[in-house]
Amino acid sequence: MAGAPIAAKTALGPIKPAPPPHPVARTVLVTLAVSFLTIFILVPLVNVFVQAFAKGLDGYLAVFWPPQPAPEQVLSVVQQRKLAEAAVQAGRTWHAIGLTLSVAAIVVPLNICFGLAAAWATTKFNFRGRALLISLIDLPFSVSPVVAGLVFVLLLGRNGIFGDWATHLTWIDPFSLRWVGFEAGFPLAFERDYSGVIFTPLAIVLASVFVTFPFVARSLTPLMESQGTDEELAALSLGASGWRTFFKITVPNVKWALLYGVILCTARAFGEFGAVSVVSGHVDVNDTMPLRIEKLWNEYNNQAAFTVASVLALLAVFTLVAKAAIEWKAARDLPQNQGHSSQ
Amino acid sequence: MTIEIRNISKSYGDNKILQNIDLKIESGELVALLGPSGSGKTTLLRVIAGIEQADEGSGPVLFDDVDVSDVDLGKRRIGFVFQHYALFKHMNVFENIAFGLRAKPRRERPGEAQIREKVQTLLDLIQLGNMAQRYPSQLSGGQRQRVALARALAVEPRVLLLDEPFGALDATVRRELRRWLRRLHDTIHVTTIFVTHDQEEALEVSDRVAVMNAGRIEQYAPPQEVYEKPASPFVFKFLGNYNLFHGRGQSGDGAALVRPHDIVIHRDRDSAGPDARLGLVSHIGFGGPVVKVELETEDKTHVDVEVTTPTFNDLALKRGETVWFALRTQQEYEYDFVI
Repeated sequence: MAGAPIAAKTALGPIKPAPPPHPVARTVLVTLAVSFLTIFILVPLVNVFVQAFAKGLDGYLAVFWPPQPAPEQVLSVVQQRKLAEAAVQAGRTWHAIGLTLSVAAIVVPLNICFGLAAAWATTKFNFRGRALLISLIDLPFSVSPVVAGLVFVLLLGRNGIFGDWATHLTWIDPFSLRWVGFEAGFPLAFERDYSGVIFTPLAIVLASVFVTFPFVARSLTPLMESQGTDEELAALSLGASGWRTFFKITVPNVKWALLYGVILCTARAFGEFGAVSVVSGHVDVNDTMPLRIEKLWNEYNNQAAFTVASVLALLAVFTLVAKAAIEWKAARDLPQNQGHSSQ
Repeated sequence: MTIEIRNISKSYGDNKILQNIDLKIESGELVALLGPSGSGKTTLLRVIAGIEQADEGSGPVLFDDVDVSDVDLGKRRIGFVFQHYALFKHMNVFENIAFGLRAKPRRERPGEAQIREKVQTLLDLIQLGNMAQRYPSQLSGGQRQRVALARALAVEPRVLLLDEPFGALDATVRRELRRWLRRLHDTIHVTTIFVTHDQEEALEVSDRVAVMNAGRIEQYAPPQEVYEKPASPFVFKFLGNYNLFHGRGQSGDGAALVRPHDIVIHRDRDSAGPDARLGLVSHIGFGGPVVKVELETEDKTHVDVEVTTPTFNDLALKRGETVWFALRTQQEYEYDFVI
């Protein structure tokens, strides 16, 4: 196996330059691609920000920090109501942002573990059912997210197969850990617990894990496959333990692909709508950012909807930049890494 | 350390890679596993290393008469050098060589100063003393090979196993490196097994050669014996060029295999002897110290002959001439055995 074709095959590998096309074909293709991107991607993206700033910067910020009246100001009842309403709405938006980040903070590490395990199992071992496992990894890509959400409802909902067990399950919210002082003995305590699974944040986590599972596994598989098992075997033959081999050899060899997968996984965890929508039960406290955007939109609060959407869009742009940076860095590392069999 | 394997078989599905292999390697020996691709030589090496498990019902792998069949790869204390070296790409040469030392359990792990000293000694041994900070990608093929060897030697293995150690190198580096390996082996005396498909390499470097074919060992003997007394037609054919003569056996029903340099060309019948035959010089190819002469016999078969260049000049052969040729030695086999 030579180095060069492997490089071209991996997700992060440099792409072989195509033969120069006919100048007319080039012009037509470039124009087509640019106009398509402009109409379908750039214009809507810009529009998100235009709409978000429809009421100016103050309006934009007011979605998160509603205006506080000066203490001495006398307000009419209508004004008071409006202010109270704005505060409630901002609270919900903040809650949605918090929930989205919390869910991602749980889902992404879980899928790093699952993805690494799945890629490791399918590329470094040969076993019965390997082909089936590889297709199963891709399943979340081919199943509609709404169906994925429904599956969880049908499994864990009140009348689901595991419904009896799931509805009586009580679990602690790990993000409700608070400082409670020394009166009760231990100074830290969880302040919130939930019962049931469906229509709670736990269901959102489950649905997000399902939907985002393939990203890490899929970005690792081609690279791990091309690298084979020789380096791991060499480490084992030198007396290294399995864990040491994994963390010192396997992980460093796939770090860029792993990071790439993590970024894609995070982006999807932030943005997932369908599956989360089904399992959230449309309760305000279960709103993630995409669900919050939909609710604001449905309440004719367009500017607020676009404002929250702009935050998601910014996250997406950030993801894109990070992804490009990783690809650039990996491409720069690659020729050095791939030189092995060239001489 | 002696290595003995008894009745080892290995198959993938219906594909029998190794069939009832027995092999005994004496302490400090340098043994070559020689065979064409698919003969099972690499699999045998990997079974000895513990990378592959032999089939159920196979006999044991014994290191110094102790059964290690169920001992893990990491606990067998072997040094394995992979065909493409498998150097750790993200570590520099120093860290590659130090890896095995750092991976030792805390109680046995040497201190940082000792690791430094040990790695430096090994770097000097492989003549790469000033390249400790280089990364594998910055080394030539031959340098990588030596780093892989040093990395394997760092943990003081009881046996060194090399899979096609020079396979990926160009001819000059190959020759240099195999002599270096021989000298290294003569210095450190660690029992060594290496896999190769190159007869010349196996014959030149090793103390004994195990010639493998289709999952079996055809012959296991010192290089000279393997070359001069091949145990089977396969061994004869695999070790060099040959001519096949039908009906030349003593019973008149067998066949004979003859090396091109074991055929003597004569200008006149008298000096050629009673068994000499006639041949037409159909091609002459110059090859430096030897000249390759192709003869065509009366029954239109081709015979390859190699004569030294001085002999060729004395004979002053020309294309289209008819000459006598006789066999100096021949290896006879039963007829159906050869075909």
